[in-house]
Amino acid sequence: MELNRRQILKYAGLGLALPAASPLLAACSNDKSGSSGDGSVKFEGWDYEAALVQQNLDNFTKTSGFKVDYTPITSAQYIQKVVAEFTGGGGADALYVYDDSLAAWVEGDYLQPLDGMPGVDEVYAAIYPGNAEAMTYQGKRYGLPYYTDSNCLIYNSEILAKAGLTKPPASLEELEAQAVKIKNAGLLQYPIGLPAQLSDTWWAWVWALVFGSGGNLFDDQQAPIMNTSDTVVKDVLTWLQDAANKSKVLDPASLQLLPVPIDNAMKAGRYAYTIGARYALRDYNDPAKSKTAGKMKMALMPSQDGKEHGTVSNTRLYGLAKDTEVQDNAFKLLTYLGGLGEDKKPYTAKFWFQQRGLGFAYQSMAKDPEVTATLKKFADPVIYAHLAEIAKPRNVLGVAWYTEFETEMHKVVQGVLSNQTQPSAAVASLAQTAETLKKKYS
Amino acid sequence: MAVLTERRPLGDNAKAWALNAPAMVVIALLVAYPIAYSFWVSLQRDNLKRPRAKRFIGFDNYTALLSDHAFLSALKVSALFVLVVLGLTVVLALILALVLNERFRGRGLLLSLALLPWAMPGVVNGLMWRTIFDAKTGALNGLLTQLGLIDSYHAWLTSGTGAFLFTALAQVWNTLPFAVIILLAGLSTIPSELYDAATVDRAGAVQRFGQVTLPWLLHPLLIVLILETMNAFRAFDTIYVLTGGGPGDATTTIALLDVQTVLTFTDFGLGSAYAWVITAITLLISIGYIGLLYRKGNFEV
Repeated sequence: MELNRRQILKYAGLGLALPAASPLLAACSNDKSGSSGDGSVKFEGWDYEAALVQQNLDNFTKTSGFKVDYTPITSAQYIQKVVAEFTGGGGADALYVYDDSLAAWVEGDYLQPLDGMPGVDEVYAAIYPGNAEAMTYQGKRYGLPYYTDSNCLIYNSEILAKAGLTKPPASLEELEAQAVKIKNAGLLQYPIGLPAQLSDTWWAWVWALVFGSGGNLFDDQQAPIMNTSDTVVKDVLTWLQDAANKSKVLDPASLQLLPVPIDNAMKAGRYAYTIGARYALRDYNDPAKSKTAGKMKMALMPSQDGKEHGTVSNTRLYGLAKDTEVQDNAFKLLTYLGGLGEDKKPYTAKFWFQQRGLGFAYQSMAKDPEVTATLKKFADPVIYAHLAEIAKPRNVLGVAWYTEFETEMHKVVQGVLSNQTQPSAAVASLAQTAETLKKKYS
Repeated sequence: MAVLTERRPLGDNAKAWALNAPAMVVIALLVAYPIAYSFWVSLQRDNLKRPRAKRFIGFDNYTALLSDHAFLSALKVSALFVLVVLGLTVVLALILALVLNERFRGRGLLLSLALLPWAMPGVVNGLMWRTIFDAKTGALNGLLTQLGLIDSYHAWLTSGTGAFLFTALAQVWNTLPFAVIILLAGLSTIPSELYDAATVDRAGAVQRFGQVTLPWLLHPLLIVLILETMNAFRAFDTIYVLTGGGPGDATTTIALLDVQTVLTFTDFGLGSAYAWVITAITLLISIGYIGLLYRKGNFEV
């Protein structure tokens, strides 16, 4: 057969195109990496401290004898990418899960329950009840804890001292009075700052204020009670409105502040109080990052009656894919990351706390001398542990419409803060939203 | 040796099809298919949180919009946003184009500066204006305080009206240069003899603008109106960065609601219906513009 110039070019083109096309075609397939046959586990998480995660996984690989293919995914797109992967049939074998997403991902058949697997009962007995509740959906346990946190009142003790205040407020009334005193002393125009710009993340501080006064937005059947049997929500909204518009101690600029600007303001001493996660104190009290280091303290959530009621917590967990083909190995990885070791100690949970101060779900860690020594550098270990004990998750996480409700709640609270919506109308609107969403999803 | 048979040359039509085929295939795959698929998705109940509930529901997603409070509110905000942005853009672009059409020293520099905002991505534009409007360290507060116009710093984006107007302003700043370029191109095609003749006829500046400039600018204006309406209706990034749609619903446009519905709520069915409504509205407005202005722009010189 004779080849002319045209044929040579054609075959050369095909030869070049095939290797280039192969990875593209492979990427389009739904093949799961776990089925590669060598027992390797495909593991995904949002991109928080990816280098440290890899370091910890390398440590695991040395002892386990199988490989972990770790893929960090941009936090802002984590949920969307995981959903896209599982929808396309190519999800990971083990992965990070937000408690906010758990119900949806179980309903979507992405995750499998861990009940009956070795060591799971032990883990659930060792962690705080709020974390166990957050990882349980319809009576089944779906995760091992990655990290957790609860919300508290954060205050600048130096500013309080300058205003002659010796202790943090126990009630909302006292918080407002203290803030007025700071304002009148000319120390700050607006002593309280809250992150109240609309965003895709949940507003923990609203839930913390409600739980802090012993209230709730929903009953155990996820029926809205904020406009009927529970009066706390309306009272909390009234307090917020008054603090923003009457006593003017709550910064109106809060409506255009996201969490990071609030952190920066606290570290610059521009606010005396905020409501945030315990974890924030580590940053606030780091002299390399904060002008207010050493002066930032945590307190229990102030309540309406000045008594201790509780706060809100969130839990991040490690989940096991329902369709994984390397279940045993994936579960071994999960146990290493979120479970107890052979010495019955939570190795990775302690690793994260010591390295980056991430909150832990294991009750025993609160008494660990190494942990308390680290804690003392940025927080009061007693209050820190007590907050974990009294914290509880949002009881509405199990419904498919939660995200929509949370988003709508932000708008309503903004209306209250900017004095455009009255608290009674706000709770009525929230109840109406919940009912409408329930109907839509029924 | 193989015998070479003489091929019949392709006709012009066949050649045209053959040459355009690759591009048409690419367009069909990358544009037509996703558009058609999104319409198909809009006819489904398709929320990724509830894959088992996925089913064909015909036009239910569309009929539900009539009683969808969030949609109706976003539509109202979008309509107002388009009106404000479009009005400001057309007026400012016309003024700027008329100025830049004159010959003066520094014209080149001014032209380059006027085009700069166009090169800025929407997200960067949003971040820049957010820094300017910042309640604590914003340049706007600094300027107004130094000029003695305000006593203390204000949180400009915390009232509904303020957030809406400042967001519209940021959007205008970003899209204005494009309108200026189009109008400037239109102005450069107007024969100078027409102005000379009008001057001889003792027409004043206003008359020259109304009788010569404006009729010649109708077609460029049509393009500006269509494209800027589409831009304003689809505005997302600047608004998202500046206000996130707040306070309350004050700046929640239909594009913002659409992105939120699809990406945050993972409701692809309803989100696709929103997208098709945006498309339909933009199409109707464009047809209206063409009906009103296109024929008026046809004239003999």
